[in-house]
Amino acid sequence: MLTKKVLNVGFEAIVIEERRSVGIDELAHYPVFPEELVEFLRRAIPESRHDELVWSVALTARKPSTPEGDTHGA
Amino acid sequence: MAHFTDVAARAIIRDTYAQIVPGSRTVADRLYAPEELEGLPKAPVDLALGVGHPVRHARLRSGEIVLDVGCGAGIDTLLAARLVGPDGRVIGLDMTPAMVERTREHAAIAGFGWVEVREGLMEAIPLGDRAVDVVVTNGALNLSTRKSRALAEMLRVLRPGGRLALADLVVTEALPEDVLRSAPALAA
Repeated sequence: MLTKKVLNVGFEAIVIEERRSVGIDELAHYPVFPEELVEFLRRAIPESRHDELVWSVALTARKPSTPEGDTHGA
Repeated sequence: MAHFTDVAARAIIRDTYAQIVPGSRTVADRLYAPEELEGLPKAPVDLALGVGHPVRHARLRSGEIVLDVGCGAGIDTLLAARLVGPDGRVIGLDMTPAMVERTREHAAIAGFGWVEVREGLMEAIPLGDRAVDVVVTNGALNLSTRKSRALAEMLRVLRPGGRLALADLVVTEALPEDVLRSAPALAA
């Protein structure tokens, strides 16, 4: 979905540099995830998903070099 | 994201990040190499909120002009500044005034006079067309309610042939409705 959005706005040469799962235990280290929120997530989300809740994806892409690459906010 | 209007979502996110207090360096230690963190001011390290290492993947070169979208307290802005050096330029962008001030302060402490920080939205980047060589963004895009608009803006401000290095969280399976309606979860 993310790579599709990047492609659809006009980027090219998309490379997934890294992809890894992120669980609730890792999110708990972030100050934007206070204890109350972490506990809420543990209650609201099935335990089977606690260790792989979301994915961290790192990608690179390039703006085309041709004049058509200037989409001016398509 | 459809559970909140654009205005409401931004207000929630802005308020959350304005009040954030530094945690430990656990996040930074997990994402960055020890030698990268060495010599940086303590505050941006303790306030690292990213989810990956786009600066590493951007393969920055001396003299490049870099835009850091959603710079937060500035750890990636500072790392980029170190790599492009004083012949380059790094622009940090954040919609939260408190984070803009923090990054300015941290850049000044680090002695990186080639860093400037602007307040603004990733959906309306306050730069002209083809203004930068590289855009990096770390864990910010998921906070946008208009991701395609934000990405289109990143494309617009890049020079032809310019590079994007992005790290973000993606959900592959729908989250429960309770989570989607949660304001704290939105901001996190």
